[in-house]
Amino acid sequence: MNAYAPILVLGGLAAVFAIGSVVAAALIGPSRYNRAKVEAYECGIEPTPQAVGGGRFPIKYYLTAMLFIIFDIEIIFLYPWAVSFDAMGLFGLVEMLLFALTVAVAYAYVWRRGGLEWD
Amino acid sequence: MTSLVQSVDWVAVAPVLVTALTGLAVLVTDLFLAPRHKPLLGWVTIAGLALAALCLIPLTDGDRATFCLTTGDRQCSYVADHFALAVQLLVVGGALLTALLSVTTVRREALPAGEYWFLLLSSAAGAALLPASRDLATLIVALEVASLPAFALVGLRRGDRGSAEAALKFFLSSVVATAVSLLGVSFVYAATGSLHLDTVAGGLDDVDPRLNALAALGVVLTLVGFAFKLAAVPFHFWVPDSYVGAPLPVAAYLSVVGKSAGFSGLALVTVVAFRPYADTWGPALAVLAALTMTTGNVAALRQRPDQPASAVRLLAWSSVGQAGYLLVPLAAAGYHDDPEEMVGATVAYALMYAVVNLGAFAVVALVAENRPGHRLTDHRALFSRNPLAALTMGFFLLCLAGLPPGVIGLFAKVAVFRTAVDSGLGWLAVVMAVNVTIALYYYLKWTALLFATPTTATPTTTPAARATATTAPAAPTPGTATPGAPGQATAPTATGSTVAGSTATAAREPSVPASVPHPLTAAIALAAALGVALSGAPQLILRLASGTLF
Repeated sequence: MNAYAPILVLGGLAAVFAIGSVVAAALIGPSRYNRAKVEAYECGIEPTPQAVGGGRFPIKYYLTAMLFIIFDIEIIFLYPWAVSFDAMGLFGLVEMLLFALTVAVAYAYVWRRGGLEWD
Repeated sequence: MTSLVQSVDWVAVAPVLVTALTGLAVLVTDLFLAPRHKPLLGWVTIAGLALAALCLIPLTDGDRATFCLTTGDRQCSYVADHFALAVQLLVVGGALLTALLSVTTVRREALPAGEYWFLLLSSAAGAALLPASRDLATLIVALEVASLPAFALVGLRRGDRGSAEAALKFFLSSVVATAVSLLGVSFVYAATGSLHLDTVAGGLDDVDPRLNALAALGVVLTLVGFAFKLAAVPFHFWVPDSYVGAPLPVAAYLSVVGKSAGFSGLALVTVVAFRPYADTWGPALAVLAALTMTTGNVAALRQRPDQPASAVRLLAWSSVGQAGYLLVPLAAAGYHDDPEEMVGATVAYALMYAVVNLGAFAVVALVAENRPGHRLTDHRALFSRNPLAALTMGFFLLCLAGLPPGVIGLFAKVAVFRTAVDSGLGWLAVVMAVNVTIALYYYLKWTALLFATPTTATPTTTPAARATATTAPAAPTPGTATPGAPGQATAPTATGSTVAGSTATAAREPSVPASVPHPLTAAIALAAALGVALSGAPQLILRLASGTLF
């Protein structure tokens, strides 16, 4: 039972934070309504009537999805390393840093080529 | 408990590592480089590949291995034996020649420099890793590292529909082939419980009888992905369109380095891993070899010399035919008591083929400097315009055909032929002999074209002339059609610009050698020097054909 105590504490902290944030926002946040606030929220773009049959999506969505996958894959490799960190030791640390650096090259490439600019 | 961390022998992996790191360096440098300095990247690439080739020298003993398991029977995933070294030399050298060819193309076609060189180096790193890998997972990963950048390279000409179509066709069919291969690997893994080639061979020796069908199916399916890269029939259909749609150096690269990835992978899985199933893959490869060489050569026969890109198309089909010869020793290995001895003939043949085929592509690029149509008819009377280029091209073609003075072509063919005879594959030897004869026809026809007498009216293939020919096709001019080049722009004399264009061509023709870019000359000279050296001392590579490389 003792082994699960930290998890219980973490769960308690999470609950306090979640409830506290909502309550605090309701109590001390100013509530001034405007038109934008009552509109439906769709990934940050203005909700527009869709054309019959689905319409067209800007190709930028696919680009963003691809970029997400690059870093998603990085996480997949980081996770098992984090689990077996003790067994891998310094060697593992250096290898993972090199790996992260290689992924950072992809990031630098996307940044310099303007892949992060929406327009 | 022993540490699970595998030690890394950095010297052993240096050729692959240097290639990959140069690629990364080029990509990052490109991001911060002013456009006028971009040509520098090509030279960085060439230097990196030369360094990678030098890294092979300390390994010549062929006894290094790394990424070994720390438990059990210490299987290694990366072995730098003589087979790996010979193929790595081929890959790095082939990429080097391709890079020399590319310097001009990248500048002229305004290809994105950083991306081009990065993709080329990445693909070369994958192809160099492949012959050294000794487990099925690394093999597939290496195959994909070699392939994925190649798709992008083929489709790199932005706004060119042909290029995009070629890339898409290449990508879709290649991905399917790799998926089939992966399915085969998973079957083999299910049947043997291991991925390391030697352990797989042990496991296949005593497969549970209930799993026999699964193992046999796995063995055959695994071959598909590699046969695809080798462009063996029936996995060849992407070749002509991809070669024509791609920038010319990329086509040259695919025909040499891509093929080496295919045959080295095939050699490893068949001769090392699937040895106990020789009676399954032996006949399969023999049929594949016969089909491949026959289809490639017959299709090459049917190319019409006056059509656009017919020179590239002919080289594409001839490369399919040559892939058939590469397969013969591998098929013979399935019938021979000592399969590892057969592989050497394939490696020797591939080395010969790499040198002369890259040389032939380089001369096609040279001719395209003034006549950009890549037509066979553009090579007519090359001797009168540029005797040296014509002589080297003739030499390369005779090597491909296997005739003196292309001695090395002849010897490599004999080495391949001997493996078939030695292992009792008489019918395959006969098929090969017939095919060599068929191939003589189109190689010799091309050679004869080089030395043909120049026609009085120069074929109008300048861009200006082609533009007018296409914009005003309806005007039925009583053309001064060139007798030797039917269907090739009936020279509409009415248009002033065309006359100016063709006279300009005629005037510029004699000064051809002066305008040739230096990297292209270097590529041709290097290939020719290697070809002549090998013809003078064929034992340099034929040594590989006798004795085992593993």
